[in-house]
Amino acid sequence: MRIKYDSMRIRFAVRISLSVSFLLRRLGLGEGATLPGRILLGIAPNAINELSEGLRVILVSGTNAKTTTTALAKAGLQARYSVVSNVTGANMREGIAFSLAQRSSRHSGDEIGLFEVDESYLPSIGQALSPKVVALLNLSRDQLDRVSETRMTSIKWRNYLAGSPNISVVANCDDPLIVFSAEKASDVIWVAAGLNFKFDARSCPNCGAEIRFSADDWLCDCGFRRPDPRISLVQNFVEIDDRRIELDMQLPGRCNVANAAVALGVCLQAGVDLEDAAVRMSKVDEVAGRYRRISITGHQVRMLLTKNPAGWLEVFDMIGADRSVVVGINSRIADGKDPSWLWDVPFEMLKGKEVIASGERAYDLSVRLRYAGIDHRLAKDPLEAVGLCSHGEVSFVGNYTSFQDLRRMIEGNDTKFLPQLRQLVGRFSQ
Amino acid sequence: MSEGCRVISVFPELLGTYGDSGNTVILAKRLELRGFKVDFVEINPGVHIPSDGDFYLIGGGEDGPQARASDLLAIESPLSRAIDRGAAIFAVCAGFQILGNSFPASNGRKLSGLGLFRVETHRHLGPRSVGELLVSPLQELHLPILSGYENHQSVTEVLANGSPLGTVLVGKGNNFGSDPKVDGAIEGKAIGTYMHGPAFARNPKLCDLVISSVVGPIPEIEDIELTRSHQLLYQDRLNAAQAVKRRT
Ligand SMILES: [Zn+2]
Repeated sequence: MRIKYDSMRIRFAVRISLSVSFLLRRLGLGEGATLPGRILLGIAPNAINELSEGLRVILVSGTNAKTTTTALAKAGLQARYSVVSNVTGANMREGIAFSLAQRSSRHSGDEIGLFEVDESYLPSIGQALSPKVVALLNLSRDQLDRVSETRMTSIKWRNYLAGSPNISVVANCDDPLIVFSAEKASDVIWVAAGLNFKFDARSCPNCGAEIRFSADDWLCDCGFRRPDPRISLVQNFVEIDDRRIELDMQLPGRCNVANAAVALGVCLQAGVDLEDAAVRMSKVDEVAGRYRRISITGHQVRMLLTKNPAGWLEVFDMIGADRSVVVGINSRIADGKDPSWLWDVPFEMLKGKEVIASGERAYDLSVRLRYAGIDHRLAKDPLEAVGLCSHGEVSFVGNYTSFQDLRRMIEGNDTKFLPQLRQLVGRFSQ
Repeated sequence: MSEGCRVISVFPELLGTYGDSGNTVILAKRLELRGFKVDFVEINPGVHIPSDGDFYLIGGGEDGPQARASDLLAIESPLSRAIDRGAAIFAVCAGFQILGNSFPASNGRKLSGLGLFRVETHRHLGPRSVGELLVSPLQELHLPILSGYENHQSVTEVLANGSPLGTVLVGKGNNFGSDPKVDGAIEGKAIGTYMHGPAFARNPKLCDLVISSVVGPIPEIEDIELTRSHQLLYQDRLNAAQAVKRRT
């Protein structure tokens, strides 16, 4: 009897949440995943367990590049499987529950659930979903008023993976905090995915002493050191064991080749043909609105999203030849309330570009740019900021809500007649 | 003027988690704009800390690195010797805590600090102090209201013979005892505070006060754009803090 009741309740909850999501997207009130997911979990708290029954699950976590790596892995896995995923970036319990609600009720056996997971939720969501594969990318400072200690996250992951012998791990061996998280897992494929931002990895997670980094290695006196990778990058090739697989990526920047290498590790664990997967990954040219170029007020704007210093180092690589750069910084809850990390970004690298400071924290950015010797103009409104640019090719680099604001504006989904409603939905979606 | 100044960033790899490196950048630049030649040194663990610096900056960080930084600073006490030579120290959050008499380790154990500030930091079981912080500084400092962003768990008691940096108008600051609360500590040319932001980005006059405590009176900065950017940020943050106050 009880099972019957639960499944009715689930069906009801799924129907309601899908309707709410449809309505939200129709009204231009966001991606329509978090709030519907919250409603779903409110009606059926057990929804994640129930809806994932029989699903083979893969989780992707880390501070940066979760969404992109998940999208690349999805493209690769589709060589063999049908894939349920949360590629919109809703990576906490609500978002994952909602992705599962979208799973069709008639599913074949060759189905994979691939989810990016917020760093702090990995153990708890892992417990609910019993993943077969977990991919770990990197750990660095991000939103410090919310997740206070990267090291704590690393320890939690370590305990979780040490106690889950059925999980195959794909992990970045260039990040000491990731190695510390993964080294006790029973099965690990190490990927040399690189680590641009070493600041948070200086002191050894094992003993607290200083880790010594060289070009492509690191070690500590306590014996904690970089494991040998099974997957590594050589120019545009990924080397796996004795094979070389070419990646001719549409996505810009070196870091996206590294993200694809991790995604190939996931495909390897899932038994997908790697050549086929690589071709599919190469064709990805947009991830949840990121990386693509769009025409705004006569400018060709490349949309880039980054939320912390580590992400910025990769963005400088992606800006490439664009001569105008608009930087948008907000500090809403989803961004982290404190943008003082701007001082950890080497904005000096924008020298020679035309720069416009934008977003609700444009003044914080402006002071930072002055001290970096970067002349710039101010326009809080991102659309207006793009309009100020005197060159045709523009990179827009926003942190989370600043990026979403501009995206909404240009997609014509800006419901100017319902700003209060959006604020309300926003509050319930945090 | 072409005097040289030594600016020393103390253990930025251990204590630099909250953008406090900005204080060093701003201090060095504001010295240069006054015609000083700046010798900027970053000291990380493994390297001897010079005691011949003019300015020492030390930032915020996590518990483990904080304890380690404190251990390293206790060896031959270079900071005390620098102070005796007339140097200024500006310390934020975890950096401020280790310059007091004691602070708690992550396991709750009490660790000795360097004793430059007559304060004691205690473990706090209540909510973390996170948010905009507005401080009315001691009158004799002749500074405008100071703005920062705080993010810390522990609370800091200013002992009877010590002095805080100012009185909290919005936020928690040291968060010790009953209201009105105070923030930070000042002891001669050493200033400690819970204000991140970084503090000097929001409060360039505080930076100039630290500078003049070592080099004597300094002229106003002539870079109008720079001054304007600081003013816009300061006003923006004052408004934000006032909004926080209205809500509570
Ligand atoms: Zn070690």
